Amino acid sequence: MSNKIVPTIYRTVIDDVIASIKHEFEEYGVAEDVLAELQHKWEDKVIASRVAEFEPPAVPAPHFPPHAMQMMPQYAAVHHTYAPPPPPQIAQQSQVKSEPVDGRFMSAAYTLPPLPGPKINGARPNPGGQTSVLSFAPGPPQGRAPTIPQVDGPSEDSDDSATPPPATFAPRTSHPSLPQPQASSSSAPADSEAINSDLDDSDTEDEDLEDGAGANTDIVFCTYDKVARVKSKWKCILKDGMIHANGKDYLFSRCTGCVAG
Amino acid sequence: MASAYYEFYRGSSIGMALTDSLDELITSGAITPQLAMKVLQQFDKSLADTMVKQVKAKTTLKGHLKTYRLCDDVWTFIVKQASFKMEQNEMITTPRIKIIACKNGDAIEAGKK
Repeated sequence: MSNKIVPTIYRTVIDDVIASIKHEFEEYGVAEDVLAELQHKWEDKVIASRVAEFEPPAVPAPHFPPHAMQMMPQYAAVHHTYAPPPPPQIAQQSQVKSEPVDGRFMSAAYTLPPLPGPKINGARPNPGGQTSVLSFAPGPPQGRAPTIPQVDGPSEDSDDSATPPPATFAPRTSHPSLPQPQASSSSAPADSEAINSDLDDSDTEDEDLEDGAGANTDIVFCTYDKVARVKSKWKCILKDGMIHANGKDYLFSRCTGCVAG
Repeated sequence: MASAYYEFYRGSSIGMALTDSLDELITSGAITPQLAMKVLQQFDKSLADTMVKQVKAKTTLKGHLKTYRLCDDVWTFIVKQASFKMEQNEMITTPRIKIIACKNGDAIEAGKK
């Protein structure tokens, strides 16, 4: 089951990154506890995103002892927070400057003080039916992260925190390898003589609208071996994919796609 | 060497969790953006290697293709009524999903040139 392997894989990736980057931190003269803090933040966010069931027992003992000692209590603490409102995360919130957080990882308890539902709802100018139901849900506030449409960059909800991310660190826009539909749609009108520009425009705008309005932006990141089309039938072989669908992550090593146009 | 790996997996759940964490550390002054970029490059590598080594799941996808696009060797598909059939008859269905696919193996080759 490809969702069941997610915790193991993510665990491996986190451990590998932290272990491999250790010497870079030393080179930059950054204290080791900053690296531990990075690991904690990262793990907390991955767990808070609830893309898979992260069980403390499922955590294999990492290969390097110092971090393992600091990591285990962290996992236990976060695990308890699934039922009652989480004191550890609130504590973290007060330590850390309030910060634009991506909607996918934002739980009500994570970004807002633990006030009753109406306050949360009022603070969120998103009257989407599904979202408001989720905001009012009693019990664990992070039953599911509020599904704020988020394409890239910082969340608009956090504008009032007045801490825009440094220009040098815009996660997606700064990476040319990422497809960026907005850029293409905004540049298209200027080039109105281009072939099919009208068609392209309406198509991308439609798509962007859907992206913005969609309650959940399901997405797959993968590589392709082959993409072939026969009439309206598309066959593609996709590799090494990360599926994010219905709030959960799934991984595959190979996906045979057969879609009709 | 790290630049030989694709960066687009940073948009995934675990990648966004990392970029957000790094962003917080930069804002609080604990680390520099340069060091954060190193971490992200390491993430690109660790993720790609781990996926290749440890993920074995195979799946099939069916659905209706709404939009397709090939730009700079990156395919983008938007599939409606998509259903992924995993092993052990696990099914994932979603009304709409976007697929971003970079060319397989290209990033590694580009790094070797």
